[in-house]
Amino acid sequence: MKVEDIRVCILRMEGTNCEQETFDAFKRLGASPEFVHLKQLEGRDVGGDEARSLDDYHILMFPGGFSAGDYIRAGAIFAARIKASLSGDLRKFIEDGKAVGGFCNGFQIMVELGILPGMDGTMSEHPEAVLHSNDSGFFECRPTLLKHTNRGRCVWTRDIPIGSIRLIPCAHAEGKLILPLEEADALYERLFDEDRVVFQYCDRSGETNAEYPYNPNGSRFNIAGICSERGNVFGMMPHPERVFYRHTHADWYRNKVGSEEGDGQVVFRSVLNYIVETF
Amino acid sequence: MSISHLFEEMGLSAPVMRVKLMGASDQEMEGISREMAIGLSLDEMKRVQEYFAKEGRDPRDIELEALGQAWSEHCCYKSSKYIMKQNFMNRSFPQALITSEDAGVVEFDDDHAYVVGLESHNHPSAIGPYGGSATGVGGIIRDVVCMGAQPIAVIDPLFFGSLDAREEEIPEGINHPKYIFSGVVAGIRDYGNRIGIPTVAGSVNFHRGYTGNPLVNVGAVGIAKKKHIIRSRVGGPGEIYILAGGRTGRDGIHGVTFASADLSSDSEEKDRGSVQLGDPIVKEPIIHSCLEANEMGLLRGMKDLGGGGLSCVSGEMALDGGCGAIIHLDRIPLKEEGLKPWEIWVSESQERMMVSVLPRDVDAVMHIFKKWDVEAVIIGEVVPEKHVKALWEGEEILNMDLDFFTAGPEYCRVTLPREVSREILEADIPLPDRGELEASLLVLMEDPNICSREMVFRTYDHEVRARTVVKPYVGDPFSPGPSDAAVLKPLEDSWKGIAITTDVNPGMCEIDPYRGTLSALDESIRNLVSVGARPHSLTDCLNFGNPERPHVMWEFKEVVAGLSEACIAFDTPVTGGNVSFYNETKGEGIFPTPTIGMVGLIEDIDNRIPSQFQHPGDSIILIGRLTGEVGGSEYLKQKTGKIQGKCPEIRLSETADIIRFMGECSNENILSSANDASEGGIAVALAECCFGEPATGCQIDLLSGKIRSDFLLFGESQNIMVLSCPPETAETVLELAESHGLMASTVGKVTSNTFEIAIDGNTAISQSTGKLKQTWDTALEDQLR
Repeated sequence: MKVEDIRVCILRMEGTNCEQETFDAFKRLGASPEFVHLKQLEGRDVGGDEARSLDDYHILMFPGGFSAGDYIRAGAIFAARIKASLSGDLRKFIEDGKAVGGFCNGFQIMVELGILPGMDGTMSEHPEAVLHSNDSGFFECRPTLLKHTNRGRCVWTRDIPIGSIRLIPCAHAEGKLILPLEEADALYERLFDEDRVVFQYCDRSGETNAEYPYNPNGSRFNIAGICSERGNVFGMMPHPERVFYRHTHADWYRNKVGSEEGDGQVVFRSVLNYIVETF
Repeated sequence: MSISHLFEEMGLSAPVMRVKLMGASDQEMEGISREMAIGLSLDEMKRVQEYFAKEGRDPRDIELEALGQAWSEHCCYKSSKYIMKQNFMNRSFPQALITSEDAGVVEFDDDHAYVVGLESHNHPSAIGPYGGSATGVGGIIRDVVCMGAQPIAVIDPLFFGSLDAREEEIPEGINHPKYIFSGVVAGIRDYGNRIGIPTVAGSVNFHRGYTGNPLVNVGAVGIAKKKHIIRSRVGGPGEIYILAGGRTGRDGIHGVTFASADLSSDSEEKDRGSVQLGDPIVKEPIIHSCLEANEMGLLRGMKDLGGGGLSCVSGEMALDGGCGAIIHLDRIPLKEEGLKPWEIWVSESQERMMVSVLPRDVDAVMHIFKKWDVEAVIIGEVVPEKHVKALWEGEEILNMDLDFFTAGPEYCRVTLPREVSREILEADIPLPDRGELEASLLVLMEDPNICSREMVFRTYDHEVRARTVVKPYVGDPFSPGPSDAAVLKPLEDSWKGIAITTDVNPGMCEIDPYRGTLSALDESIRNLVSVGARPHSLTDCLNFGNPERPHVMWEFKEVVAGLSEACIAFDTPVTGGNVSFYNETKGEGIFPTPTIGMVGLIEDIDNRIPSQFQHPGDSIILIGRLTGEVGGSEYLKQKTGKIQGKCPEIRLSETADIIRFMGECSNENILSSANDASEGGIAVALAECCFGEPATGCQIDLLSGKIRSDFLLFGESQNIMVLSCPPETAETVLELAESHGLMASTVGKVTSNTFEIAIDGNTAISQSTGKLKQTWDTALEDQLR
């Protein structure tokens, strides 16, 4: 299909607040993004032409922010509302091979929903992981270097060469990925074996065991983003939508000449290419 | 004296008391004001008595409460208005579109305007640092939204007592500066981050003068299409008032009367109810829904409920539209049962917006609020007669003439100059040898007013919305240096940028309020031109002690004179602001603190100028003359423990020359970097220039001109800039500077690793940049421990 026919659902509720820049990213690449309030999918309090169905879209995007204030646990309330009314639609969406992505709070929501890491199927009944408070104890808004270590499974990053390093900022208080402690070793091994680790925080030389501030939250193995078994569901803590252009890079003046492309743009292009080729 | 006989239950369906003001004695009237905690003076009570005598009835409690609020210093600026009018009347600037409302509206380009507001949230933050600062952010964001603008940035200049204050220095009932600091920062962090508006600029100042009265000033900038700018007034009779957002509760009762009095030792207990509670997750959908309804053309007027609550907003919106209003007070959604009508009327609960809507658009507006799960109710209507009336189940419980109600008193208060500007005897400060100069520089680098605030800014999301193109810390991602101002690119399809800075040097204002104000403006301007922007407008937040004290009123007068003079000299209008008096605890007032928030424009963000040196080999150019003036400097404070001396001279015409010169540099893109010198003088400014890139250094040779080495290096002469450029363009830069009448000279070059300053060819400082950077980086964290 053509890129302009790709419909992107930018899902929001109270407290989502990175939706504009996420919308802009898809729009700039020629796709057709739309802001959709969760209530429009639930069919609650909506007028005649406001109701929407997940089925209408090719990409579902959970933007960053503080959905419902992140009270209880980051992403928990948004996830619970989706589970209550839309889990069937969402399951079908994923199983159809359509793309689901989340950055920051979006990633937290996806983990709470059980669609990531999705160790044993599309959507687990209970969360299989948690994004825990940063080791520093602080909210961390800072640039991070991400090494793309995915070997080709993730449809959101497949246009990025393996091993390449990108400067993409993070901004979160709860970004430390933790898997169930009793079987953690085996689960991490599976994540790597099944090619589901997508980005790892690294230092300037590309070492993925670098510590704070390179790893802003203390995630084991410096994991910054993961994908589902099929590679179409993807979440990451940092914000690629914030570095769509080079002029928003923290070190903007260093490479003044040349491309205006920022290090995050390729994430959006990859998934659009995937949809163009697949549907 | 018991005055209970002056209050009488009226026997209405709601609990309303009649207050027997007719025939009350002076003493009784003072007693009433005290008993009700409405803060009205005897003279003011007499005016009220006179009004109701003409009406032929006694007032009800709700009416006196409303007047106490409307006539508070915070709401009607009764002490400041007179001096403001004298200085700012009859001056107009074409770029300022609206300057009379909650936030100023200024032209951005042909189709867009930017909106700026800056205000104080001092008293609440002293009592409840976390809630106080959070609601400060919330309030200023609402001020921007209610003009129809999308907020794009938050700025927050903060002032605290010394972090090393000893217990005995802290007035009873006041918390330690460390505690207040962490609470305030956490409040801004949690609120700003949750509503998704980046906190991009600000300042953190520590001085003993703020131990009893921390200052929390908060500003916001927004952007709007000009056609979507909406006024805070009704369109005409027949319109419907809809109240949207948070519920009304007992939080924030008497907030403005509390903000209009000194703090006392039992403030923490007694005034806790005056601190409003914010909820960012109610706020965020309010922003969306109000802007959506406005952009659809469904709103005639919009105003936020801040200090002054429902009472002030329903009256002022109506009167500004030449009308009156009737409010059904029993329809207001409440947080808890049992609020008295007067409590509902004056509550300053957060997250509330009032919109005025044509009857035919009510359903559409209510639907938008419903869609966003924002609670909204129809609470009243606009009427032709200029009265505000409140009804409870149809019974009138309040009825006042709006001209009377909103025309608060105005005072021409007594001013009395206090001594300023004492010369320092150079001999009192021993002349340092070279080792001492290096040691002094290190001590300055870790001074809480100079060291890095990066740890604070990392906890604020400063790039949400992905429009922050110059961040507070720039350069190497893992070891950045400070930027002079933040720059945002607000529009998707325009390269035009908006630069924001906030400045004031409280020490300078303490020794000389007039010159201190000029110095704050001068520094703001140099910060803006350093990033390549052209200064465009300013807003101010003027914080003072008790205006009933003649010295304080004199400080205020001096500050306003400085502001007025500078905004003419720089062609930058003051587009709004606020005055906060009564920042006193037990007779101890703060330093006069005129916080300046300044906005600049940059035609093409590609012409942004970095703050730090870029390339070894580049020439370093000094603009301005090092005068060795150390009055008010951090260095003098280090040496003598006091803020003293004569405030350095400011030459406004020179600042104006710098604006023109830097404008050309930015247009021509000929500079590698630009930075201004402020606290810590030229030595600290040069060090900061070396902090953005790893392994940068500089080699400088200054001419002493018979000035002592320490005064030369650390004196805070004004109008100083440090530039760098490729050696082959140095001549062009120098000529350009000279053509604008500026003193300019090449003083050295960018090198690697070592920070070296010589004076008249003799090494004065030679230090590894890494050591300076590390000292500067870790100082604040160490002092917070």
